[in-house]
Amino acid sequence: MKRSFKIMVSLGAALLLFIVSSAFSLDNFKLKPGAEGKICLTCHVQFEEKLKDPFVHTPVKRGDCTGCHSPHASSHGKLLSEGLNKICTKCHAVIPKEARSVHADVMSGNCTKCHDAHSSKNKANLLKAGNELCFGCHKTMGEALAKVKFRHNPVEKGCVNCHNPHASASRDHLLIDSPPSLCLKCHRTDSASFSKLHMNYPVAKGNCTSCHDVHGSDKGALLYTKVHVPVANRLCNQCHEDPGSATPFKTKKKGFELCRGCHSDMVNSTLKRNVIHWPLLGKEGCLTCHAPHGSREGKLMRGSLTSVCYKCHADTLERLTKSPTKHKPIQEGNCMACHEPHSSNLPYLARAQTIELCGSCHNWKAHTSHPIGEKILDKRNSNLNVDCLSCHRSHGTEFKKMLPFTTPTDLCVSCHREFRR
Amino acid sequence: MACVLLSLPAFSLAAETAKLVFSKAVYVDDKGKAIKYPEGVACDNKNLLVIADTLNNRLLKYSFKDGQLQGGSEIKIPEISFPMKVQVNSKGEIFVLNDKPIQILQLSPDGEFRGYVAPQNLPDPPAFIPRSFRVGGDDSMYILDIFSSRVIVLSPDGKFQRSIAFPADYGFFSDLAIDASGNIFLLDTLNAQLFIAARDAEKFSPFSKPEKTYLEFPTNLTIDSRGLIYVIDRNGCGIGVFGKDGSFLNRQLTFGWSEGLFRYPSQICINEKGEAFIADTDNNRVQIFNILR
Repeated sequence: MKRSFKIMVSLGAALLLFIVSSAFSLDNFKLKPGAEGKICLTCHVQFEEKLKDPFVHTPVKRGDCTGCHSPHASSHGKLLSEGLNKICTKCHAVIPKEARSVHADVMSGNCTKCHDAHSSKNKANLLKAGNELCFGCHKTMGEALAKVKFRHNPVEKGCVNCHNPHASASRDHLLIDSPPSLCLKCHRTDSASFSKLHMNYPVAKGNCTSCHDVHGSDKGALLYTKVHVPVANRLCNQCHEDPGSATPFKTKKKGFELCRGCHSDMVNSTLKRNVIHWPLLGKEGCLTCHAPHGSREGKLMRGSLTSVCYKCHADTLERLTKSPTKHKPIQEGNCMACHEPHSSNLPYLARAQTIELCGSCHNWKAHTSHPIGEKILDKRNSNLNVDCLSCHRSHGTEFKKMLPFTTPTDLCVSCHREFRR
Repeated sequence: MACVLLSLPAFSLAAETAKLVFSKAVYVDDKGKAIKYPEGVACDNKNLLVIADTLNNRLLKYSFKDGQLQGGSEIKIPEISFPMKVQVNSKGEIFVLNDKPIQILQLSPDGEFRGYVAPQNLPDPPAFIPRSFRVGGDDSMYILDIFSSRVIVLSPDGKFQRSIAFPADYGFFSDLAIDASGNIFLLDTLNAQLFIAARDAEKFSPFSKPEKTYLEFPTNLTIDSRGLIYVIDRNGCGIGVFGKDGSFLNRQLTFGWSEGLFRYPSQICINEKGEAFIADTDNNRVQIFNILR
């Protein structure tokens, strides 16, 4: 009953769509009866072949070329009557209102990156079948999965088992449901062996992806390739309260104090320095940047350095984006080339004083003959010495060579005023 | 160019305006020794100006009256190490937030060490880590405790009064400020957003919209006698001004070496006369501005 009702509704919607789109497009050009489609094929003969594909876009099948194209002139490529993002969504409303996550190409109207607008040998007019299509863009994921020992079965069968390819109304990462409920659709958690493997912690209420790499891994049970030692040794209660307690997932200590139990040398030396990276002392402590259970990244980082650092320092990323000259370490997300991640004795968590730090990559003597150093005073401010940052901003500027002025001349005359024009 | 564009007023309301006009810069102490990387600045309504001369591990004490700067005596004691933020209370006592170790020191008006701020009977958890702190008009102390995600309120004699938990959804709080009515404001650096807890409120709620378009990485704020909120945009090297209703009024000043420009400013203090003192950290100076109303 329920199924037949769904079919009825779908048919009704399709019919309505057909009527509306037909009325909208065909009448526009006052074509002779029976001319629609056929008249286009007189020139676009290659479409005869396309039409033989098993999956043909409904307007194409109908010969309704003017449903999408304007035959005389257009402001859009391929004589489309509107931009791709508008044309497709006129019939295909695939993004829910206030969606939590949207596929970037869907958002930007790049529907043809996945779909052939006319016809295809694949269902839903997809350009390629199955995961091959997804891995065309998500290459890193595809390559990683090709190499791993163990692959999650649903991933092999198709990304769409867990992800909605267009958008998700209420989940991150285009997921059709959130862990653990997504995982529990396939995995049983009520067996004795499951409980034993998870040290009797009620993980069915936890976040499976905190320990398991859901796509695939070289480690058994799809654990992340880098696993925190207590997790690998099943010593969950080293950090968490006992599984039988009222709050089994609660950690025994807060913030960095929890990590200090094992990493005391690192934490103590961090706290001894002059400048501390503040998030380390916050509620999340070390977990602001590091994953507590496992990660694909070294040092259990929550993601690549780029993603971890720029999560908070988005302004630096924006500065980099605007800068015509890119400072290589920043572009590569190698913030640690210049900054200490935890603490430093120098402002800005710098690894060394400015000239020494820059000099570790740049030979300033070959770069310029301008004197720099402690003995050279900045003419703009007698409290400053001339160093690399007297002329450059290390994260970039909107001008070339990371200069804070429009032209090198403007920079020079900011000190050498006698040469101002 | 972007810096220049950002420095132009974004939204101006005729009823609420505040324009910072450069007056003077402080470069040295009374013996001519240069200030190095000042991160903190405090002022009161009795002409007192205290500077945290961070890389020299000392405080400097000046008097600023009728546009004239006097003094510059050094307060250098072993307990002051990498001072970041300073505050003064109505008695002229000085409070310093050290970066190493992270503790709040209490000094006499003459700079004599009186002890560390160590509130008794703190509710669980007993530990706190101050990212910032403020002394209110009645000499109560407000501590931004990032370790336990709360604001701790202490009486003038240092006893625990109450605490207010941070709101559920925020990026990272770098600073707090108290207005004349006792309302507490928090500055979320990552979202460039202000939160408020009214004098007796038990929780914080958003006061402004996130203003990432106008503020890159705001880290410090203060409130003038009219209730306007001034926010230091450290990485953006400018000042943002919010109205009493939380609307963003304008953005002023920009990056540079000349007087009136900033390189990574850290702290701002405004007195009742409308004189603004700003620690222009990377320029190794404190700049004084008059606020035109």
